[in-house]
Amino acid sequence: MSLRRGLLGLGVGLALADSSIVTLAVPEILGQFDVAITSVSWVLTSFNLVLAVVAVPAAYVSRRRPRQSYGVGVVVFACSSLVCGLAPSFEVLIGARCVQAVGAALLVTAALDLLSQIEGGDERALRIWVTAGVVGAALGPAAGGILTELLGWESIFLAQVPVAVVLLLALRGLEARPVATPAGRPSIAANAALLFVAGGLVAALFLVVLLLVEGWGMSPAAAGVVVTVMPLTAIAVGRLRPRSLGELCGVVCGVVLLAGGLGALALMPRAGWGWTIPPQILVGAGLGLTVGGLTRLALRGRPDQVVHGGWTLSARHAGVVVGLLLLAPVLTSALDESRDEAIRAGAAIVLDSDIPPLDKLGVAQDVLAEVDRSSDAGELPDVGRALEDRPDDDEWNALVSALEDQLDRAVTSAFSGPFLLAAALALCALVPLAFVRRRVE
Amino acid sequence: MKRLAPLLLSIALVAVVVIPYMALGGGTFEPTPVADPCQPRDRAEADGLGETIERIALQAVDHVACELGVSREELVLALRSEDAFDRFTSENGIDRGKAEDAIHAGLVRAVDEAEDDGTLPGFIAPFVRKAAESVPPWLILETLERLGSFLPG
Repeated sequence: MSLRRGLLGLGVGLALADSSIVTLAVPEILGQFDVAITSVSWVLTSFNLVLAVVAVPAAYVSRRRPRQSYGVGVVVFACSSLVCGLAPSFEVLIGARCVQAVGAALLVTAALDLLSQIEGGDERALRIWVTAGVVGAALGPAAGGILTELLGWESIFLAQVPVAVVLLLALRGLEARPVATPAGRPSIAANAALLFVAGGLVAALFLVVLLLVEGWGMSPAAAGVVVTVMPLTAIAVGRLRPRSLGELCGVVCGVVLLAGGLGALALMPRAGWGWTIPPQILVGAGLGLTVGGLTRLALRGRPDQVVHGGWTLSARHAGVVVGLLLLAPVLTSALDESRDEAIRAGAAIVLDSDIPPLDKLGVAQDVLAEVDRSSDAGELPDVGRALEDRPDDDEWNALVSALEDQLDRAVTSAFSGPFLLAAALALCALVPLAFVRRRVE
Repeated sequence: MKRLAPLLLSIALVAVVVIPYMALGGGTFEPTPVADPCQPRDRAEADGLGETIERIALQAVDHVACELGVSREELVLALRSEDAFDRFTSENGIDRGKAEDAIHAGLVRAVDEAEDDGTLPGFIAPFVRKAAESVPPWLILETLERLGSFLPG
């Protein structure tokens, strides 16, 4: 029984990790296919958009034939992952990502029904389903970054194929019964709040990893360890949450913690992973209180968990799409602006430094060449790389340190706007929550 | 009040993180300021001819930036390639020919000053002056850097 539960949870986590798993692979995908920087983000957006659109229809199919839907979902997910990994063109990759989202929608909604049947109760099944999805989405960027670093971006998708095949073992000997009761109307208020919360969470899940790896030059593996603070805090808060805390009150507190954590990420005084930990704890606590609580509010008093679970899935991924569409241009524009400021300031630091004058102009040119290279590659510049062959003395070390500090602070500052926007988006969840309050009480 | 306690606790937790971050200067990034090129700048003594020539280039950049009304850093960035130079002139609304003339004149002036104060020997000055007058602006820094690296010091 526990193996089946584990496999179903793994399936939900794996499928929903795909919503964020290619975050750190984007520069490498950009390098392989001849596409514009603005187009390459569709590797992320297409999956979330299709998942948001098909989650509810998939849930209706899953409630009638949960066992078959799960099986078909896993096979479609595995086959499309294989095509993603072997894609000869960008168009094929995007097409396969869309099909992958259809498989994920069937797999995830059917898993909720199957979990409910093997657990013998809706509440425990829902907790496993929500936790698996949150952990999968939270760990996705780091897992994808590690695979990209070790084996290339294709391995992200190819590695999912054997795992997906193993997921089919969950169906062995399982007798599933279809749901016959009418689904009823979805909770608009709870799902709308979920959309805003998910939009805010995009910043936490995507931008923190991008900042750590692309901005501050951490390895994806190290960044992966750092960002586990969020899912670990979310799980801990979910478990330690006092029973006396009302569902709605918990969600409101969660929104405040989430928005506060995002605000703190916007106000980090220095570059360095340590500064992300306290905000991550706040975000993780918010994540633990909001996503589970809102999902339970959306499903409360409704006879059909699967369809309403589908609505929550749709709302969450619509929120991810909204977050991506809003935050990506703001971040791009802020990075361009701070890049120009950092280049000017970097040139000033080089020209005023204590290194021999004979080297100043050459260094300025090397640093600028790195800025140009990184700009073409869709990455952030790495000053250490441009100056790696320089002598190891005090003047040079002081210069490299000053340049890196300037660049780190410029990049950190560029991420402030998107984090603040995400905090505002998360706070918007309080508006529909006012309507949930009336209905519940 | 009891009902509000969880919410107040959440706000307090946020404040515990946000207030120290703000007190430490979070969210107030100011890039290192770029100096006014029209103000005289202290320079350490050049050690050898090579360094002297590069110092002349830096001196000239200050003169020209002051004359064109731009920062020294913007001008150095503009001198890395022809594309960068074209972008610089169009963004700052400066005529391309006027900018080229100003750069050549600024370099010649810096060479003259260095020759007058004895930091650049008279037998080298004509070669440096010729390079300053004839090389396109986007190749000047590279040319002077190479010239400097061939000379002692």
